Amino acid sequence: MRRFLDAVLDSIFRLFADKGARMTMVVSILIYAFLYPQPYTGEVVRDVPIVVIDQDGSTASRELRRRVDNSDQVAVVAHTDGLPAAQEMFNARKVYGVLIIPPDFEQDLLHGRQSPIAAFGDGSYFLLYGAISSAVSSAANSLGAEIRVSRLTALGVDAGTAAALVSPVVITSVPQFNPNGGYASFAVPAAFILIIQQTLLIGIGIMHAGKPARPGIARVATPTAYILLYTFWVAVTQLLLPVIYGLPQVGHPITLFAIAVPFLMAVTAMGFALVQVIPTREGMIFFLVVQGLPLFFITGVSWPIESVPDPIRWLAMAVPSTSAMSAIIRVDQMGASLSMIIPIVKLQLALAVGYAAIAYALHNWRFPNSS
Amino acid sequence: MLGPFPLILMLLLSAVFAPGLPSNLPVAVVDQDGTTLSRQAVRMIDATADLAVTVRATSLGEAQDALVSGAVYAVIFIPQSMGRDLLQGNRPELVTFYNNQFLTVGGIVSRASRQAMGTFSAGVATQALVANGAVPEAAVEAVVPIPVQRSPLFNPALDYVQFLLAALMPTVLQIFITASAALTIGSDVQHPNGMARLTRIGGSSITGIAGKLAPYGLAYLLTLIFADVIIFGAFDAPFNGNIWLHGAYSASFVLACLCLGGMLAMIAGETVGALGLTGVLTGPAFGFAGISFPRITMNTFAWIWGGLLPLTAYLQLRTDQVLRGAPIEVSLPAFGWLLGQILLYGSVLMFLVARSAQVPAKQASIA
Repeated sequence: MRRFLDAVLDSIFRLFADKGARMTMVVSILIYAFLYPQPYTGEVVRDVPIVVIDQDGSTASRELRRRVDNSDQVAVVAHTDGLPAAQEMFNARKVYGVLIIPPDFEQDLLHGRQSPIAAFGDGSYFLLYGAISSAVSSAANSLGAEIRVSRLTALGVDAGTAAALVSPVVITSVPQFNPNGGYASFAVPAAFILIIQQTLLIGIGIMHAGKPARPGIARVATPTAYILLYTFWVAVTQLLLPVIYGLPQVGHPITLFAIAVPFLMAVTAMGFALVQVIPTREGMIFFLVVQGLPLFFITGVSWPIESVPDPIRWLAMAVPSTSAMSAIIRVDQMGASLSMIIPIVKLQLALAVGYAAIAYALHNWRFPNSS
Repeated sequence: MLGPFPLILMLLLSAVFAPGLPSNLPVAVVDQDGTTLSRQAVRMIDATADLAVTVRATSLGEAQDALVSGAVYAVIFIPQSMGRDLLQGNRPELVTFYNNQFLTVGGIVSRASRQAMGTFSAGVATQALVANGAVPEAAVEAVVPIPVQRSPLFNPALDYVQFLLAALMPTVLQIFITASAALTIGSDVQHPNGMARLTRIGGSSITGIAGKLAPYGLAYLLTLIFADVIIFGAFDAPFNGNIWLHGAYSASFVLACLCLGGMLAMIAGETVGALGLTGVLTGPAFGFAGISFPRITMNTFAWIWGGLLPLTAYLQLRTDQVLRGAPIEVSLPAFGWLLGQILLYGSVLMFLVARSAQVPAKQASIA
C-alpha cells in the first residue's frame, strides 16, 4: 500500500515536471475557469434594442408601444416613419428588431375587427429573436385580452364572465432548476465536463504518446494519479465555480462523485487506449482539440438527444462525456438521486473496463518486450 | 494524416442537425381531472409537432421524478375539478413545469405547451363554456384581436438550425486551420536554425512562410466551400447576399486563422505549446462569437476577446450577407476588421520569423 501511494505521488511529480502536461492538466483548466464563463456573465438577454414604426399614432398604438418597452426583454430605442430607415438601423446593428403598427390599428380594434401588427426579428440570433418575439406577443396578448373584456362589459356581460370568456383557462409556465433562464447556469457546468475530459485525454497524450508504459506498479498507479488529480478538478469546476459565478448548484457532493469518478476512470482508460492508436503528442492534441464542440452538441444538454440520428447517438456513446455530461448536470444542477443515474454509472464503468482492455492489448502488441 | 478528418467532422455535424428542429419532445402529463375536457387537452398537447406525451403520471411527485431523471422535458399539470371549474367560468389554472436547465429544449417545450394550451383555451374551452350556458353565444369572437405577423424575410425558427450548423462548421474549421498552422510552423521553429532554413529555401521569410502555409490555406478554403455546399446544397438554405464578397471574406477568414496559428507557434516556440495556445484561444471561440449568446449582452472583456478572433468577424459578415442580404457597404467595416486581423497577426508572425531567422545567422557570422 505504501509502495502504491509512493508510485501515485511519483506519477503526480512526473506530470508536474513535464511542461506540456502541467500546462494542459493544471494551468489550462485554471485559464478556462476564468475565460469560459466570460461571455455569459450577463446571464440573460435584457433590453434588446428595437425600432418601432407607428403608422397609427393613436392611443391604442401608444399603449402597445409602452407595453413592449416596459418588458424586461426589449427596449424601444427609436421611432421612424418608414421601413427603409428601420432597415438601415437593423443592418447597422443599432436595433435587432422592427415592430410595425399599421394605420387604422385602433379603428380596427374598436370595431371588433382583427388588427394585426408585424414584428421582424433576426432568427439567426436565437436568443435575441426569442426575446423580441416573446415581448411583442405578450404585449399584444395582454392588450388584446383587455380590449375584449372591455368590449364585452360594454355589451352588458359582467366582468367575471367576460374574463372567463376571453381566457377560459389560466396558462402558467414554471421554469425549473434554472429559474432565471441564465445562460451561464446552463452552459458553464456542462462545458467544464467536456473541458475536464478533453484536457485529461490530451494530458495523457502528452505524457504517454509513443512511449511504452513504465513496468510494475506504475501501470496502475499512474492512472490512479490522474483520476485523483481530476477528482479535485471536478470539485473545483462543479462545486466551487458555481459558488464563484453564482450559479444554481443543488446536488449532493457524494452523488456527484459517484458519477464523476467512474466518468474519470472511463476517460483515463480511453486516453491510454488512444495513445496506442495515435503515437505522437502533437497528433493526440490535434485530434482532441478539434472535437470539443461536436462532442458538446451530442450530449443532449444543448441540443435534444432525441433529435440526433440513432447511429450517431450510439456511436457517440463510446465517448464518456456523451452520457456523463447530462447525468452530472442532473445530479449537480437538478438534484437527481443516485438511483436515477445508476445506468450511466454502469455505462461509465463498462467503458472504463473496455478501454482498459483495449489499451492493455494494444500496448502489449506494440511493445511486446515491455512486460 | 489530416486528409479527410475535417470533412468527416463536417459531415458528422451536418448529420446531427439534419433532422432540423426537434420534434416529439417527451413530456409528462398529470391529469387529476380525468374528464372529457382534460383528456381533450392532453390530446391537443400530444398532437403538436413539438411534443409527445410519453408519461402519464398519477401524482406530481412521480412526474417530477421523470423530469429530474431526464425522461421528460416538462410536466403538464391539470388540476382536479378542472372541467367543472371551466364550465362554471372559474378559470382553472393549467401549469407547465419545464426543464430550464436544458435551456434550448426547455424553451421549445414551454413555448409549444403554451401554444397547445392556448389552442385548447380558445377552442374547446370556449365552446364548452358557451354550451354550458355560462356565457352568451353572441359574445364569442373566434379571433385573436392583435395577431402578430412575423416576416418570412427574417427567417423563422427553422432556419436557426441551418444557421447553427452554418456557424458550427466554421468554428470547428477555425480550430483546424489555426492548429495546422501552429503545428507546421511550430515544428520548424523548434528546430535550431529552422527559421533560417525556411527563409533560405523560400528566398525570403515571407515567401518561406507563405509557401509553407499555402497548401493548408487551399485545402481549408476548399473544406469551407464544402461546408457551404452542404448548407446551400443539401440543406437548401437561401443565400441573399453578394457571392463575391462571400468568397472574399471566406478566403480572408482562412488566411486570418493561418496567420493567427503561425503567430502562436512563433510565440510558443514549439509544437505542444503552440497547440495548447491554439486550444485555449479557439476552443471556447463559439461562446465569444455571439451566435448562441449575443455579443451585445457580453461584458467588455468578452466583447474585446471575441473581437480578436477571426470567427467573430466571419460569422457577422456571414449573417449580413447570407441571411440579411445586406448591401455591401454595410459589411465593409466588418470586412476591414477581418483584414485588420490578417495584418496584425501576419505582421507579428513575420516579425518573429525574421527575428528567429536572423539570430542563428548572426551567431554563425560571429563564429
